[in-house]
Amino acid sequence: MPELRMALAFFLLLNILAGLVRVVRGPTLTDRFIVAQLFGTTGVGVLVLLAADPGQAALRDVALVFALLAPVTVVAFVRFAVGSGPSPEQERR
Amino acid sequence: MTAALLDACLALCLPLLAWLVLRTESLSQSVVLFVAMGLLSALAWARLDAPDISLVEAAVGTGLTGALLMHTLSWTDERPPDVAARARHRPWAVVAMAALTGMLGWAVLSLPSDDPGLTREVDAHLAESGVEHPVTAVLLNYRGYDTLLEIAVLLVAVLGARAVNPRSERTTPEPSRDPLTGELFRMMTPALLLVAGYLVWVGEHGPGGAFQAGAILAGGGVVALLTTRLGTPRMSSWRVRWALLTGPLLFIGAAVAPLFSGRALLEYREAQAGTVIFVVELALTVSIAMVLWMFFPGMRPARAERSGKEPS
Repeated sequence: MPELRMALAFFLLLNILAGLVRVVRGPTLTDRFIVAQLFGTTGVGVLVLLAADPGQAALRDVALVFALLAPVTVVAFVRFAVGSGPSPEQERR
Repeated sequence: MTAALLDACLALCLPLLAWLVLRTESLSQSVVLFVAMGLLSALAWARLDAPDISLVEAAVGTGLTGALLMHTLSWTDERPPDVAARARHRPWAVVAMAALTGMLGWAVLSLPSDDPGLTREVDAHLAESGVEHPVTAVLLNYRGYDTLLEIAVLLVAVLGARAVNPRSERTTPEPSRDPLTGELFRMMTPALLLVAGYLVWVGEHGPGGAFQAGAILAGGGVVALLTTRLGTPRMSSWRVRWALLTGPLLFIGAAVAPLFSGRALLEYREAQAGTVIFVVELALTVSIAMVLWMFFPGMRPARAERSGKEPS
């Protein structure tokens, strides 16, 4: 069972790696940001899996903190993207 | 086996992401990559069996700093320096960096690998410290003066932040077209308060504490700042000043009090140490939350002030 959890955590980490391609290639800033948020969700999953190991229960709190603070970044992003005149879709770089 | 693969994956990704953060030509992309890197480093700390650092990384390093950087983007028009071009112009800088990295690496590698450091002393005196978690014992009892000075640094930092951007002291009108409502803030507040209280409480016997709890509360403050008409807290308000000073003043009081009964600075009485640490942590949570919140400069006043340079 611990081996299965670790394998799942590794699989989730590979998902993050696949997402990295999207972060680097974009094309729009919104794509990148959504992927970063997906990283957050996946990372919470990895942390919860790691927390199931004996003696690692504190990692559940880390996952909790991540999940709680993720919306703050989203709000800041929306404020930035909406406030900065042209929509982020136009920022093709 | 899979654990080793996972670790190798993390170890390869972190330097790659760090390079991408520096290399990217757009500030907004750097911020997105920075958030991703923070997440992976929190995972790395978790794998290195350092849940305390992982928690701080999640709360302050990534959660709040990511939001702060993202928010700062709306205040800036500047393009980032082209790191790669600079490196090409100044090859000696690259050499100096490589030398520094080499020296640091050598210093780390020359450390004795199985030296327990002060772990034994900390464990031996844990029962006298008033808390059950060694990290909290070190931070608030054995080396309490470090934490005390850190809080002073935070107060200076918030003054600096306000001095750099005095416009944030003024109230700014809410922009009319507004996709965000206060609904999110109302939904998040109970969870944030609960988790912040939990983190202060859990610090006594596990990873947690004032800094993480303060970051959670500040996160709530930022959501309020960006979605409601509350506005940013102003230094001129007495309530804000008291919130900023509660933690440091109480901590100084707790530090100085033992001097009057013939003990050393910060030498708590064994029987009261637990209570003192808990009260100081609660007060510090309020102050740290206020400090972190005040780093966010509120909404940028008028679009007209921008120089018209948008990222292409």
